[in-house]
Amino acid sequence: MSSQDHLKETDTEARFEFKKEEKSAFKTEKGLTEETIRVISEDKDEPEWMLERRLRALEQFKAMPMPTDWPEAPDLSEVDIDQIVPYIRPDIDVRGGVDDWTDLPDEIKDTFDKLGIPEAEKNALSGVGAQYESEIVYQNMQERWEEKGVVFCDMDKAVQEHEELVKEYFMTKAVPPSDNKFAALHGAIWSGGSFVYVPEDTTVEMPIQAYFRMNSEGMGQFEHTLIIAEEGSEVHYIEGCSAPKYSAFNLHSGGVEVFVGEDAHVQYSTVQNWSKNTYNLNTKRAIAEKGGRMEWISGSMGSKATMLYPSTILKGRGASDNHITIAFAGEGQDIDTGAKVYHNAPETKSTIESKSISKDGGRTNYRGLVHIADGAENSSTAVECDALMFDNESTSDTMPYMEINESKVDVAHEATVGKIGDEDIFYLQSRGLDDDDAKQMIVSGFIEPITEELPIEYAVELNRLVELEMEGSLG
Amino acid sequence: MSTKAIESLSEDTVRRIAEERDEPEWLLETRLNALEALETAELPDVIQTPGRRWTDLEALDFEALVDPLNQSDTTERTAGDDEVVVAPFTEAFDEYGDTLEEHFGTVLDPEHNYLTALSVALFTTGTFVYVPEGVDVEDVKIRAEMNSRSLFSQTLVVAEESSSVTILESIASGEESDVEGDRYFSNLVEVVGGENADVQFGSLQNLDDDTYTYSLKRGVTDTYATIDWIESNFGSKLTRSDVETELNGDGSESQIVGTFFGSEDQHFDVNARVWHQAEHTTADLVTRGVLDDVARSVYEGVQDVGEDAWSTSSYQRENTLMLSDDAEADASPKLIIHNHDTEASHSATVGQVDAEDLFYLESRSIDSKTARNMLVEGFFVPVLEEIAVDEFREDVEDLVVERLQ
Repeated sequence: MSSQDHLKETDTEARFEFKKEEKSAFKTEKGLTEETIRVISEDKDEPEWMLERRLRALEQFKAMPMPTDWPEAPDLSEVDIDQIVPYIRPDIDVRGGVDDWTDLPDEIKDTFDKLGIPEAEKNALSGVGAQYESEIVYQNMQERWEEKGVVFCDMDKAVQEHEELVKEYFMTKAVPPSDNKFAALHGAIWSGGSFVYVPEDTTVEMPIQAYFRMNSEGMGQFEHTLIIAEEGSEVHYIEGCSAPKYSAFNLHSGGVEVFVGEDAHVQYSTVQNWSKNTYNLNTKRAIAEKGGRMEWISGSMGSKATMLYPSTILKGRGASDNHITIAFAGEGQDIDTGAKVYHNAPETKSTIESKSISKDGGRTNYRGLVHIADGAENSSTAVECDALMFDNESTSDTMPYMEINESKVDVAHEATVGKIGDEDIFYLQSRGLDDDDAKQMIVSGFIEPITEELPIEYAVELNRLVELEMEGSLG
Repeated sequence: MSTKAIESLSEDTVRRIAEERDEPEWLLETRLNALEALETAELPDVIQTPGRRWTDLEALDFEALVDPLNQSDTTERTAGDDEVVVAPFTEAFDEYGDTLEEHFGTVLDPEHNYLTALSVALFTTGTFVYVPEGVDVEDVKIRAEMNSRSLFSQTLVVAEESSSVTILESIASGEESDVEGDRYFSNLVEVVGGENADVQFGSLQNLDDDTYTYSLKRGVTDTYATIDWIESNFGSKLTRSDVETELNGDGSESQIVGTFFGSEDQHFDVNARVWHQAEHTTADLVTRGVLDDVARSVYEGVQDVGEDAWSTSSYQRENTLMLSDDAEADASPKLIIHNHDTEASHSATVGQVDAEDLFYLESRSIDSKTARNMLVEGFFVPVLEEIAVDEFREDVEDLVVERLQ
């Protein structure tokens, strides 16, 4: 390894594996009570209707069972809500985030510097938001988009400044708290996240980015993302997540709602690299109107257990959905992820491309649902799952479900599982690569369909994360 | 879930069945244990997705369906060869009692679920097939007719080392039957595939549409053994069919070929599962079904590759053809892989008769109904080709044609 490579590596490792001394201005008690929720809501100075929604979600959370009766579901027995600190506000003067990077406290600035956030902003982004613990600490939107009426702000601010829109769309249509136990939990104690509004016929040509970082031990992060893309608009939103490793478990239970207007186009990309004690139990859903197009691109690298099935409801004629997902499970990880698509209108189309890699005893599972409603004629769906396994201790499962209520459709599902080809490795070795580099190269090729959909910084980061995973030097 | 209490069911009932058939003590014990297990056993697992169970077995009224002491059937058994034993259990106890005792319930645990326990406690008909070492028989046939409200059947096939056997089993409703209303047929099949044995087991279910059926067929392979299943379901109001192979011996193989054709409000819950538990094992699951009217199919295919199953090949295909807008086809093909030295794939498709194909045939002056029927018959060809026995393949073809009238 050249010295330059070595530097690059230590730098990348440092980016993902450092932690700061926890310093907070306000922190709720562990556990979840009505009192806690009233405190969060009051601290955020929320309108009464939002408090009511939170309290109702809390009731639903209490009434709902854990999702443990699914076939081969990940083990969630360790997830004890009473041990989670639901809300931490970092110690900064400006509520809702500062808009100049230099105004951030050094510690927080340093954290995000290491994660490469400001560079990314300078280079390629329309806007960037950064969430530290439970609150957005930095927010910026390039002026030229702001002038066109594009809104990108943190969710707490949106409740104050775009109340009517939030009231109409927040956990009412796409992800109601009744959807599942963790959606209900999220509805009760959500905090932070992003609000994106793109007016009619407006194209935001560069991606908007939000970065979420959990820094404290035993905390839960519950950010909410609401994207409203009006008729004929276009936007690409990127979210990145990370947290260092602590001995106690962390819980991430975010909520994402995307409204794709008529003929609008939304791309939502995530690279998730939670530390390996984090339970990542997210709910993400998009509703696409007539001719609308939704794209989900996800890389799931970190976490101890992930249960995440981004979902699209194709509501209007001719709406379409593409899912591209990649999951990587190493030692002790259970990445249970997939896609859900509901074809509720004629001429709707979806494609799902899922790739997974498992090694050192990790488990990946593709769990998907494609539902074609009666009347969704001339719809088509194609699902393709490929799994790559490194060893005998690892597990790779595929569990697609298909509910087809309409005859004039074209439904196809395919899945394959294989090991890294000995011949491929031999070939690369014969060209002078060592065993590790050869495997690395094959994996990079395997995940290329994902990386080529991402902006270059993210593609590089994803590739780098995969490399680190392959070397076992993370977590 | 609590079990379905059936009033007419008691230890006395079970003892009476065993006594009438002059059964050995061990079988009575097995029956009584199964009866006891009913108190805690669960109905078979059914696929669930948010908000729905794909097959509603809870809705079956077992109290009304099960009439244990009035079971009646007409069953013809032909062996085709003196060297093989094909007999009702009652006739096999004297000479083959030890073999029966050794294998009964070892492949398929009677207490597996509520319906298997019910079946073992109450079965009155069934067949024992014993193929001694090195024997090769091609035409074992079991043709059964059901003549009562409920009928419980049990089949045990023991194929010894290097033997080879083809068995065809069919069940239909008897024409003489004067039972009105709903009926219930239960069929459990166990196949022991000895070292290097080759078993083909074909099954054809064509019960009338007042009948609910449950069948679970399971085979276990020793080294180099092959167990191939052909599972055809045409009749019944609701069918739950499970065909399973445990590939326990190195180099062993299994093929599961399934066909179904649903019309009116028929419901088929068809499942094919293999467990690869040894090295160099191969499995091939092929299912094709057609749905018309408001018929419904539920399909689950499972390929489970265990940690020790090195160099596995496992393939699965499921295709459904929908002839009506009101039909529904649900599918869940599952891969569960614990060993990386595996070549596995599965695929599932749902579609309708291809409009262009139809247009082509019509342009050759074939009327549209005939054209459609030709295409449906053509759809079944890939699975029909897998049926090696002419007679059985013709039966299936005839049933397809009959359905299309």
